[in-house]
Amino acid sequence: MTDTAIAAAALGKRFGRRGAWALRDCAFRLPAGRVCAVVGPNGAGKSTLLALAAGLLAQTEGTVTVLGTTPGRARARVGFVGQDKPLYPQLTVAQTLDMGADLNPGRWDQPTAERIVAGGSLNPRSRIRSLSGGQRTRVALALALGKRPELLLLDEPMADLDPLARHELMGVLMADAAEHGTTIVMSSHVVAELEDSCDHLLLVGDGRVRLAGDIDELLAAHTRVAVPADTDLAPHTVVESRTAGRQLSALIRPAGPLPGDWRAGGRLSLEELVLAHLRNPQAPALTPSGLEGKAA
Amino acid sequence: MSTVTTPPRATAPAPGAPGTQAAPARRLRWLLRLHRPALCVWTVLVVVLAALLLWLGGPLTDASAAAWNQYDACPTTGACGYDQEAILLYKDVSLYTSLTVLTLPFLVAMWAGASLIGRELESGTARLAWTQGVSPTRWLTAKLALPAALVTVGTALAALLNRLAWTAGLGRVDTAKPWYSIETFYASGPVVVAVALAGLAAGTLLGLLLRRSLAALVGSVCATAALWAGIFMALPHLWPTVTRVSSLREGPSGSGIGVAEGLLTADGDRLGIPRYCGSSIDPSCGALFDRLDAVSFYRDYHPASHYWPLQFVASGILLAVAVLLTVLTFRVLRHRTADHRGGLA
Repeated sequence: MTDTAIAAAALGKRFGRRGAWALRDCAFRLPAGRVCAVVGPNGAGKSTLLALAAGLLAQTEGTVTVLGTTPGRARARVGFVGQDKPLYPQLTVAQTLDMGADLNPGRWDQPTAERIVAGGSLNPRSRIRSLSGGQRTRVALALALGKRPELLLLDEPMADLDPLARHELMGVLMADAAEHGTTIVMSSHVVAELEDSCDHLLLVGDGRVRLAGDIDELLAAHTRVAVPADTDLAPHTVVESRTAGRQLSALIRPAGPLPGDWRAGGRLSLEELVLAHLRNPQAPALTPSGLEGKAA
Repeated sequence: MSTVTTPPRATAPAPGAPGTQAAPARRLRWLLRLHRPALCVWTVLVVVLAALLLWLGGPLTDASAAAWNQYDACPTTGACGYDQEAILLYKDVSLYTSLTVLTLPFLVAMWAGASLIGRELESGTARLAWTQGVSPTRWLTAKLALPAALVTVGTALAALLNRLAWTAGLGRVDTAKPWYSIETFYASGPVVVAVALAGLAAGTLLGLLLRRSLAALVGSVCATAALWAGIFMALPHLWPTVTRVSSLREGPSGSGIGVAEGLLTADGDRLGIPRYCGSSIDPSCGALFDRLDAVSFYRDYHPASHYWPLQFVASGILLAVAVLLTVLTFRVLRHRTADHRGGLA
C-alpha cells in the first residue's frame, strides 16, 4: 500500500501535435484517504487532469502516479465518473449493474451498488435511455462505487442532481470514504458545493495548478489585511490587493509575523481564497505538499 | 394435480463472489448484451441467405435445367413450350443472392465503424468500459475477436453455399455465369471472407480515428469499396498468366480472366489489335495483318485452373491488410490512452 493516492510531476497534456496545452507543468501530491476538491473555471483542465489519472488519456509530458503505479495498472482499483455520465442507453439499470459485476470480478460489491440505485426509487428494469440526468448520475455513481475503488475520481458529479439527491449522494460518498478509507477526488466549478465535504484542495487555472494542499493549511497560510495605502507589503507574497481611498486591502501569504498595526480581516473562506487566486492569475502558485515528503 | 417434487436446482454462484473464475464468459455476456440487435440481424441475414442459396442450388437449379432441356429439345421452327418462369426465377435468385454476398463486407464494415467503435467513442461509453476494470487493449480485443469469428463463419457459409449452388448448375443451366464472372469469382470463394474481415478491421480503425459514428459509417463504406476495387484491379496480376496463341483467322481465344491480348509478329513482337479487326476473315483486316507482319493472335489469361491460386493469393493479401489495420488500430488506441506506459515513472 502507498500513502499517496495521486502524485504528478511536470505533468502536461496537449491535444493534437500543435494544439493548445490543456494542462502544463502540473505538480502536486494527494495523500491517500483524503477528499479532494478540484476547482477551477470552465476549461481550466480539471477534466483532463482526472482523465489522465484514470488512464483514459496518455500524458504528453511528465509523469502521473496513481496508487503507487501507473494509471493503466491502477485501473482495477480506480473508480471514475465522467462529466457526461456515459452509460449504455440500451441496457436496463439491472443489466448495467450486471456489467459492473461482470467486468470487475472479485471486486464487485452488489449490495452497495443496489443500495445507491434503490435510493433513487429506480425500477431496475428501466432502460438507461429512459432515465433523467440525475437518475443516470445515480446509476453511474453506483457503478463506480460498486467496484470498491481505492480512489474515486468524479468529474462534476453533482451537476445535474436536485439538492435533495445531491445531499443524499454526497452523504453516501462521505460514508464510503469514512468506512473504507477511499480517496475521493471531485471536480466542480462551484466551490461552495465542495467546501463542507472536502479537506484537500487542488485549484486549477489556465492548465496549471495554482493551489494544492490541505484546505486548513492553505487557509492558514493566507491572511486578509487592511493597511494604509502607502504601506510596503514586502516581504509577504501578495495574492490580491485593492486600494480604496487611503486604505489598501490585500490578501497575502505572510512570510513571517505581521506588524501589530496591520488590521487582519476575519476568517478567510475557501471561496474567497479561490476567487482571489482566479482573479489574479499572476499570483504565484502555492503547492506546499507539492513533491515534498514521500512522493512516490 | 401431480405431486410437487423439488426440482434439482442449479447452484448459481453468488453475484460478486470473490475470485470468480468465469471472467471471460462473464465479459462475453456484457458484449453480447450490448450488441444483441446486430447479432440478431446478422444471424437472420445469414440464415435467410443460406436458405435461399440452398433453394437455388437444389429445386431452382433442377427446374431451370429441366426447362433448358425442354428448350434445347425444341424444333428450330414453330412454337415450343418450355418453363420460362423457372429459367428467369433461377437467374434472378442467382443474381440477387450473389449480390447480397458481395454486400456483406459493406455491412460488416459499416457496423464496425459506426456501432461497434464509433458510437462508443462518440457517446463516451468506451470510457465507461475502460474505467470498469477493462483496459482499452482488452476492450478492443473483445470487441474484435467475437465479431471476427461471427463474420468469418457467416460469410464463409454464404460463400460456400453460393459455390455449391453454382457448381450444381454447371453444364446444366445454360445461363449460369462462368467461373470468372464477378458474381461467381468474388461471391463464392475465400476472397469475400477476407474482404469482410479487412472491412471489419478498416471500420474499427476508422471508428477509432474519427470518433463519430456517422463519419465512421461513411468512411467504412468508402474503405470497403476501395478494398473491393483494389482487389479487383490487382487480381489478374496475382498469379502468372497463361499465354494462348491462336491463328489470325480464329481471333484471340482462351476464356477466363483476360490480362492482355494482341497480335504477334514473325519476330515475336507484340502489337495491339487494330480497331475492328478481330479476325482475318475480313479481307481488309487480313491485308492489314500482312502489312503489320502479324502471324497470329495471343492472349494472356487465367484459365479455370487458376481459380484456387488466385483465390488464395488474393485472400492472403486481404488478410495481411486486415492484420496490418488491426495492429495499427491497437497502436492508435495504446498511444491515445495510458495503456502503453508500462513501467513506473
